[in-house]
Amino acid sequence: MKPLNSLKHFLADSTKINVARYVISLIATLLIGYLLIVANNANAGVALREMFKGAFGSKLAIGNTIHWAIPCMLVGISAAVAFKSGVFNLGLEGQLYFGALTAACVGYMIELPPVVHQLACIFAGGLAGLLYALIPALLKLYFKIDEVITTLLLNYVAVLATEYITLKLMGGNSATSQTSIVTPFVNKTAELTPIIKGTSATTGLFLALAIILIVYLLYKYTLVGYEMKMVGSNLPFSRAGGVDSNKMFIIIFLVSGFIAGICGATEVIGVNHRFIAQFSANLGWDGVMITRVAANSPVGVLLVSFIWAAFKTGAMQMERATTLNRYTMNLLQALFVLFISIDYGMLYRKYKDKKAREAIKKEE
Amino acid sequence: MSENISNQSEYVLETRDICKFYGPLKANDHISLKVKRNTIHAIVGENGAGKSTLMGILTDTVKPDYGDIILNGEKVVFRNPMDACRHGIGMIYQEFMLAPNFSVFENIIVGFEETKGAFVDYKKSREKVEKICKDYNFNLPLDEVINELPVAMLQQIEIVKVLYRGADLIIMDEPTSTLTPQGIEGLFQAMRVLKAAGKTILFITHKLQEVFEVSDEITVLRLGKYVGTYDPKDLNQQKLANLMVGREVILQANKQPGEPGEPVLSVRNLSVYDQDNIQRLKNVSFDIHAGEILGIAGVAGSGQQYLSKTIFGLSKAAEGSKIEYLGKDITGNTPRENRADHIGYVPQDRMVMGCDVKTSIWENTIMGYHRAHGFKTRWLVDHKDANQFTEKVVDDFAVKVQSINSNVGSLSGGNIQKLIVGREFSQDNKLLLIEDPTRGIDVGAIEYIWGKLLEFASQGAAVLLVSHELNEVMELSDRIMVMYNGELYDGGKYGEFDESQLGLLMTGGVAQKYETIE
Repeated sequence: MKPLNSLKHFLADSTKINVARYVISLIATLLIGYLLIVANNANAGVALREMFKGAFGSKLAIGNTIHWAIPCMLVGISAAVAFKSGVFNLGLEGQLYFGALTAACVGYMIELPPVVHQLACIFAGGLAGLLYALIPALLKLYFKIDEVITTLLLNYVAVLATEYITLKLMGGNSATSQTSIVTPFVNKTAELTPIIKGTSATTGLFLALAIILIVYLLYKYTLVGYEMKMVGSNLPFSRAGGVDSNKMFIIIFLVSGFIAGICGATEVIGVNHRFIAQFSANLGWDGVMITRVAANSPVGVLLVSFIWAAFKTGAMQMERATTLNRYTMNLLQALFVLFISIDYGMLYRKYKDKKAREAIKKEE
Repeated sequence: MSENISNQSEYVLETRDICKFYGPLKANDHISLKVKRNTIHAIVGENGAGKSTLMGILTDTVKPDYGDIILNGEKVVFRNPMDACRHGIGMIYQEFMLAPNFSVFENIIVGFEETKGAFVDYKKSREKVEKICKDYNFNLPLDEVINELPVAMLQQIEIVKVLYRGADLIIMDEPTSTLTPQGIEGLFQAMRVLKAAGKTILFITHKLQEVFEVSDEITVLRLGKYVGTYDPKDLNQQKLANLMVGREVILQANKQPGEPGEPVLSVRNLSVYDQDNIQRLKNVSFDIHAGEILGIAGVAGSGQQYLSKTIFGLSKAAEGSKIEYLGKDITGNTPRENRADHIGYVPQDRMVMGCDVKTSIWENTIMGYHRAHGFKTRWLVDHKDANQFTEKVVDDFAVKVQSINSNVGSLSGGNIQKLIVGREFSQDNKLLLIEDPTRGIDVGAIEYIWGKLLEFASQGAAVLLVSHELNEVMELSDRIMVMYNGELYDGGKYGEFDESQLGLLMTGGVAQKYETIE
């Protein structure tokens, strides 16, 4: 029975390691954050309080946090779907841009009744993201071009192409700055309803929650979800097991692109109410970081998105109230992702080995 | 190393209380052994007995937790693998450590080049290599590129490489696993030549027959512990097997050849080209009948892999090939279609293609079953059904698991293999394509899987058994075919041909290439 006991040991260890992973990362990040704040001649306590106030201190603050949590959740779950299955869709940014532009067009060009119009915008945005994701997917399948390269480069294409199209829609070359390259405002019928007055916390929240729930259920209960997970975990094994890996690859890519497109759409009809060229402040990359921290789990994405959003809104308040720059928070977020990515299991095993060695020496 | 050590102590190597623990697992538990100078010393043990860990410690690829290594009477502590090498310990790994795109000569001298200032002195290095080849009677094509040479030749290159590095003690890890019977005989001759020249050889194996053929002393390890060192004259195969596993083991399958039924699989003119457009199978034709095990023997890389892969749909058959299964043309069908048609597949590479170590046991077990047999609905995973099926496989095949929700990675190699084989056997498959079902697992698990395989065939299924273990093919197959260079040769019925006859076929019936040592 000895091997069984040792097995138990190892399993318990892996759970412990995962808890330790988050605890250590958090402590290390807080420590570095503290040093940074002190180095900037600010009071860490005040900075933290202002951050908290900025994120949750008032109805308005909570509204702002929810406003940011919506795109974080959507782009995070979009990244999770791809990364969990080993598809490195780094093109979330690009898919999001095409989703946003398409939603804006559907929003201002077409007349529809209120709810239908919103849904039409969201669906059109998703579809645009999906179609834009189809390009790297096909390039990979038919020409064996790595999706990391194609999606990365297609991001630039998307950002500039949407800007160009917007310029043309405006009817000319009149714009003088990028922020003035915009589509007309969408019709009132297409706008998402705010759930907290005076903020951009809209009904998009329910949409984001629903999508996370759907993805969660997909993995837990459906055969497609099972196959998506297994393909990501071990492709040759899944192929030998009769999974059509090419089909799965396309499905995963398209689902990921669809959700990224929806994210773009909610930004347009929920926040800006029009498409603004180069509007996204690296939202796509936030998605990659969020899913990394969440270890590709849908529930994890939900939690991390709110934390991410709280950081975003809290940092602005912190900047207003202290001498600190809000990019301090970005730095700390990135550090946190780095700490999370450390192979703690390996370190733990080394430590165990060392302890075992010492124990034997003592015995002798 | 230099000559002045040859008159030193009787033992070239001694280990004292070597310990290596991986967490709670004791890979080496106070191992103390002595190796006599100028002998061939076999180290035997089941998988997981601690052989590889011990060798890793001797070559410093694994750091011991405790214990001393005494080399030529002196305690040594290695700083790194190169250091172990400088102390005269040379290792020949099971998987050859050669750079495929470089020449034989370059592979031999790499890391230990003779130098002239900052430059490599090719002339001097070459002279040294040539002298070694001459002294030990190796005939190597020094300027040829590695990837064009046969396996037996690669092994000779490895031997010359460790001699070039000044090895006095040569460790060989399962050196015979990739060789034909003739190649093995050649290797044994080489070992004897090395011994005659004053070298000491540590020979790791779990093939008992070989142990008796060459070794002067046998050390047995079991579950990380040292069992003892024996003189081969005092033992026989049965006794040695008992020492290894601590119980009686029958190494024969006791097959009862049956009457084959209707043909299940008919392969006609099957040709396969790999991604580099090299022809791997050349117009292969054969039938397998119900209740029959067709064994495919052959040296690694003769094309056997492509046979099962192509039938299963993982490789593409060339134009003109025809694969017929129960009267239906299945050429070009996908693995999913084949699984739905009750064709099972056990791939050779169990850790990559056979299972996924990062997910749970039940998720691994329902792979294949989930579509081919399916659950109540087409779209959802029926967790009740999945659990029942997994429990059945685990029970029927005596897989030791803690919970079916544990990761497959937490199981031992033998248990993983039982799980994989069990998964395919439990799906009422009518045809099973199975590659190396017992490679690298312990005697107990081999016995179990062999028994199950024979039972499976006796119930009327057809089995294509591709194995690199000739003994396995001979013990289990109703009919044997030998694959050589992409072509199939008749290897007779069960018990018709003996090992050396088959070995000759495995090398194309031509004289051995491994013939340089007289």
